[in-house]
Amino acid sequence: MNSSERNEASPSSELEENLEVLRQTYFFSGLPLETLKVFAYLCTREKFKKDEYIFKQHEEDGRAFYIISGKAALERQDNDSAKKIRDCAMGEFIGGLTLLGEVRRLFSLKAVEDTVCLVLEREKFTKAMEQFPIIMPRIFKAVAKNIDSWEERFLADRADMCGECMVNLGVSLI
Amino acid sequence: MEKADIPVVKRSLFSWVFPGNVKLQISLLFIIVVMVFARVLPLEMQKRVVNEAINLRDIDLLLLYCGIYLAAVIFSSALKYLINLLQTLITQRATARMRKALYHHILTLPLGFFRNTQPGSVVNSLVTELAMPGNFVGMAVSAPVTNLLTLLAFAVYLFLLNPLLAAVSFSIYPIVVFLVPVLQRGVNRANRKRVDAARTLSSRIAESVSGIHEVHGNGAYRIENRKYDKLVDRLMKIRIVWSLYRFAVKTSNSFFVSLGPFIVFLLGGYLTIKGQLELGALVAFLSAQERLYDPWKELIEFYQVYQDGSVTYQRTMEFFDAMPEHAIEPEGREAFDLEASVDVKDLSFVTDSGIRLLDGISLSLNPGEHLALVGFSGSGKSTLALCIGQLYKYTSGHVLIGDKEVSDLTKKDMVNNMGFVAQSPFIFEGTIEDNLLYACKAKVNGNGQSGEGLPTLDDIIAVLHQTGIFVDVLRFGMNTILTHDQNKELVDVIIRVRESFQRDFGEELSDYVEFFDENQYLVYSSVAENLIFGTPNKDDFNDANLCNNPYFLSFLKQADLTRPLLSLGADLARQTVDILGNLPPDAVFFEQSPINPDELDEFKILVSKLKRQKLHELSPEHHQKLLELAMRFVPGVHKMVALPALMENLILEGRAMFREKIFNDSPEAITFYDISEYIFSQTILNNIFFGKTKTANPQAQEKINQSIIQLLIEEDLLETIIEIGMYYQVGTKGDKLSGGQQQKLAIARIFLKHPRILIMDEATSALDNTSQTRIQNLLETRWKKKSTVISVVHRLDTIKNYDHVAVMKAGKIAEIGTYDELMARKGMLYELVGKK
Repeated sequence: MNSSERNEASPSSELEENLEVLRQTYFFSGLPLETLKVFAYLCTREKFKKDEYIFKQHEEDGRAFYIISGKAALERQDNDSAKKIRDCAMGEFIGGLTLLGEVRRLFSLKAVEDTVCLVLEREKFTKAMEQFPIIMPRIFKAVAKNIDSWEERFLADRADMCGECMVNLGVSLI
Repeated sequence: MEKADIPVVKRSLFSWVFPGNVKLQISLLFIIVVMVFARVLPLEMQKRVVNEAINLRDIDLLLLYCGIYLAAVIFSSALKYLINLLQTLITQRATARMRKALYHHILTLPLGFFRNTQPGSVVNSLVTELAMPGNFVGMAVSAPVTNLLTLLAFAVYLFLLNPLLAAVSFSIYPIVVFLVPVLQRGVNRANRKRVDAARTLSSRIAESVSGIHEVHGNGAYRIENRKYDKLVDRLMKIRIVWSLYRFAVKTSNSFFVSLGPFIVFLLGGYLTIKGQLELGALVAFLSAQERLYDPWKELIEFYQVYQDGSVTYQRTMEFFDAMPEHAIEPEGREAFDLEASVDVKDLSFVTDSGIRLLDGISLSLNPGEHLALVGFSGSGKSTLALCIGQLYKYTSGHVLIGDKEVSDLTKKDMVNNMGFVAQSPFIFEGTIEDNLLYACKAKVNGNGQSGEGLPTLDDIIAVLHQTGIFVDVLRFGMNTILTHDQNKELVDVIIRVRESFQRDFGEELSDYVEFFDENQYLVYSSVAENLIFGTPNKDDFNDANLCNNPYFLSFLKQADLTRPLLSLGADLARQTVDILGNLPPDAVFFEQSPINPDELDEFKILVSKLKRQKLHELSPEHHQKLLELAMRFVPGVHKMVALPALMENLILEGRAMFREKIFNDSPEAITFYDISEYIFSQTILNNIFFGKTKTANPQAQEKINQSIIQLLIEEDLLETIIEIGMYYQVGTKGDKLSGGQQQKLAIARIFLKHPRILIMDEATSALDNTSQTRIQNLLETRWKKKSTVISVVHRLDTIKNYDHVAVMKAGKIAEIGTYDELMARKGMLYELVGKK
């Protein structure tokens, strides 16, 4: 961050910007503003240079990311060859499940241009949640709904292209 | 532990009165007897003054008797003070002894006890509730003896004066003795009802507050008011009854006692008129009557203290009335050195509620063999590990270590031979070193005081490497601020490291470091650092004193900075209190806060004032607090407020002005940042950088660490920094460490102890891949054939090289064998590995 990036006539604080971001993610959007402020406060911003890994496959980094600017590629390494899955662009929230429990990455995320992410660590998230146990069900609901509507969309748009993978459908049944 | 034969929870309240206090209690008794005599003496003097001195009109006698009277009063007051002193001493010593004995007892209670016990109730019992019984112990001898003896002495004196009058005036007391306990029972009954009613009322209030949106939404104010008002009325009635009983105790007591003088006047007056009683005796009688009231009142109070004290004591001791499952220390022998074989035969563990967590487990390990326990959550693998480690007491079957039954061994035997790393290890407040040596100190001497038999620095460093916490400790060391008098040589070497850093890594790491540049605003430094841009050599320029320093304050005014900084401080206070106002003082929450946890309450008050008052209307003290807060503001860390460009420029101009001003007025006060000088106000790392880190990104940290380690090795400085890092304070419950660091530290402290049997209960679950692999490799290379390892494993890719793998399901071992055997069998392990 250099001074020219920050100097505006009446700049809004990073906290306010983080708050705006969190309000737009499915994971946090249902939470009361007071709680959301705490999460916005606990988030940090990280810059990743082009070709740097944001997270790597098999790692258990325990962090969730929101891409504020830049672009990253989701990859999966199978038998020594890395296959690109898709691009993750500005505005995408990745890793809500890692906040809820230990999840080893099944993919790698690599910055394809200089990328700035908002990062929340599971440890901080958990400690904050201990203070607001009453809202945990809202987060579970949001996650469950998201998984369900993902599969619903997938079945509506892509099921016919699935071929042999069809038998493995049903992530929303877990 | 005191009174080892009778557990503390079985001791009666009276058992605390004499043991340990015999000398004090005897001295107390002696003083009381003397004091009672000194209390009676003035009565006799009163009589003599009237009968002899006044009657005979003898001034000398008057002076003599008054003199004796005065001396007796002074003497008895001094003795009363002494009695209070001894009483306090006994109270405090007894309370301290109770607290220690109960705490020592509580720590030995089985883990099961703590599952059903809130830490809060333990704290409350030890801190608050034992105070009342302690109070009773302090009074147990002195209060009844003093007051009964005083009463008795007065009674004897009164009987000697006139038996008839004495008998009549004492006839009141039996009535009081009968009446007070009856009324007191009423007080107790009403008090219990009051506590219950208050509790119901509290939950009613809590419910309506948490459901306030529903109340507003439905406009249900009247419904809620009715519910609440009803409870308040009930509480009011109970409180009235309670108060009536309390006053009844007080009033009836004082009524009956006040009847005394009435009887004395009536009967005494009659006897005096008839010439059967001297006037002096009547005066003495009246005086003694009045003085009966105080000891009597104290006796009644003592009765209440006894009631309260014994109820509280009983309730507290009943609460903790459980017994340790195993003896702590062996009696009449040294702790065993056990052979590290483990034999489990038909082991079962059934909970109190009858749930069978382990069912007929049998397995056998030779010394030095490694066993992995795998299975789904709830399959019983942790329970089995805890039973083998004596942390749970198995309900049937056998666990033999060497040839000894685990349930018959003492804790000391286990601790000497076994190391245990828990799933969520606990880190205690103190330094890294304290925590590293925790297990070793407990093993060596139980009290952690003497340094004998403890690992050397080389051992410690080796284990820090093995467990992967070396880099963390190094970072703690690097983040230490050295003092002026600390190691001159070290300072010189660090300057050399700075030069190498600038040469070798300056360019490469420039994205991660904000270098101290005189012409740039430092986003990762505080406003104070930005203004002063140097190290204070005088105390009044230190951070803590800066806003108290008239010179600096006048400079702020000159530089037009006072009001903008006050406004910044106010903004910071408002935002921070808004976010952190209701959060606990955990380090995680305060890492990015300019307000420290212990200042939060003060700032809450300030912020509430700011809502009602304008900034300029605040008191000078509040202005100072806000200025201090603004001075701490680091825009790169404290994200709740943005620093406006105007302010940034003002501060940069201020920096130049300040430098000029100091240069003219007091050049020795500040040493300005200079690339060839050590900066004593900054950490070692910032000194090497000649700047500050901008990021907490793990990859950036890794790069920084690598470069720094390389430089430190070149200068042979690594060990020194590690030693400094070992003094890092880890915070309450280790909250300044990450989960991974806590787990590494917990593994390191057991590795340092080098136990013959090592039990690891998902001990590496919070670690990153590299650290997990490192520890697994270490177990396979260094520990195989040396120590027996039982490891509850959550990651199946680490179990290939274990001697045995046991797959558990529903409290039983479903299959056991080597990894290859089980995979070839295509049974449960095969299925589990597939699923993973």
